[in-house]
Amino acid sequence: MSGRSVPHAHPATAEYEFANPSRLGEQRFGEGLLPEEILTPTLYHGYYVRPRATRAGEGSRAGASELRLSEGKFQAFLDVSHFTPDEVTVRTVDNLLEVSARHPQRLDRHGFVSREFCRTYVLPADVDPWRVRAALSHDGILNLEAPRGGRHLDTEVNEVYISLLSAPPDPEEEEEVARVEP
Amino acid sequence: MAKIILRHLIETPVRYQEEFEARGLEDCRLDHALYALPGPTTVDLGKAREAQAPPVDSAAETPPQEGKSRFQILVDVVQFLPEDIIIQTFEGWLLIKAQHGTRMDEHGFISRSFTRQYKLPDGIETKDLSAILCHDGILVVEVKDPVGTK
Repeated sequence: MSGRSVPHAHPATAEYEFANPSRLGEQRFGEGLLPEEILTPTLYHGYYVRPRATRAGEGSRAGASELRLSEGKFQAFLDVSHFTPDEVTVRTVDNLLEVSARHPQRLDRHGFVSREFCRTYVLPADVDPWRVRAALSHDGILNLEAPRGGRHLDTEVNEVYISLLSAPPDPEEEEEVARVEP
Repeated sequence: MAKIILRHLIETPVRYQEEFEARGLEDCRLDHALYALPGPTTVDLGKAREAQAPPVDSAAETPPQEGKSRFQILVDVVQFLPEDIIIQTFEGWLLIKAQHGTRMDEHGFISRSFTRQYKLPDGIETKDLSAILCHDGILVVEVKDPVGTK
């Protein structure tokens, strides 16, 4: 995020140090709040922030993403529980795996809302994009997986021949030649 | 490695300086309301004292019930920048739209947008509304100057 004034989250774990946590929580957006859902402010890097009370159950983990990169498999879990199965599309563009979802206006407990998001994962180099499989569980968690190692990753070395170009003719020499000739 | 001392803002209260002096630091330490951000649920102590100050013919009047019937909306927009957010009114409806383009995060790229719609109470227009975006990502849209608080 550009223009971010608060440094990144708790640098207590290696995951945060290297900014590659396997789980991404707190991905809900555009949620209505009730005044009683705002909790006592806590100190976060010298700033007071107010944590929100999230209800367990419907939509509390919406948008959360989990990435598992094991030896033989690429696997990602994405919570799309705000969307119905026909509102979610998964596609690959080259080595990008795009999950986009949008739902038209509907009523929730705060009022009318419509949402849209698009999350893109970068597939590792040894994953064949054609072998990505997606499954949606009953509680709205999209499971994306693809086998790894299907592609050969041997480095292909190609020596490029350097052709030598002849030097451009020297204009002074040419002049001399022209003077001598007649 | 040299020792690093972190000092937090608790030790240097500014907002309610008089309050701290009057009550003593130790006494205030556990009063969370003093440290709260100016937001919808916190009472501004200065204003509250002003309101209490003129107790002239207060016996007959009851203080106006604040926050109960007042139109107020809170939306969590923590993922969006202030310039990503548009607030509109349209034929008695309040529209809050927010959209941010593709940006990188720890798992790749993400873009989001949402629209929320609320029915405005009768007689409330754009000029009656005010919006605050707190730095912790809570957007508050409420009716300006409710009658009786002035």
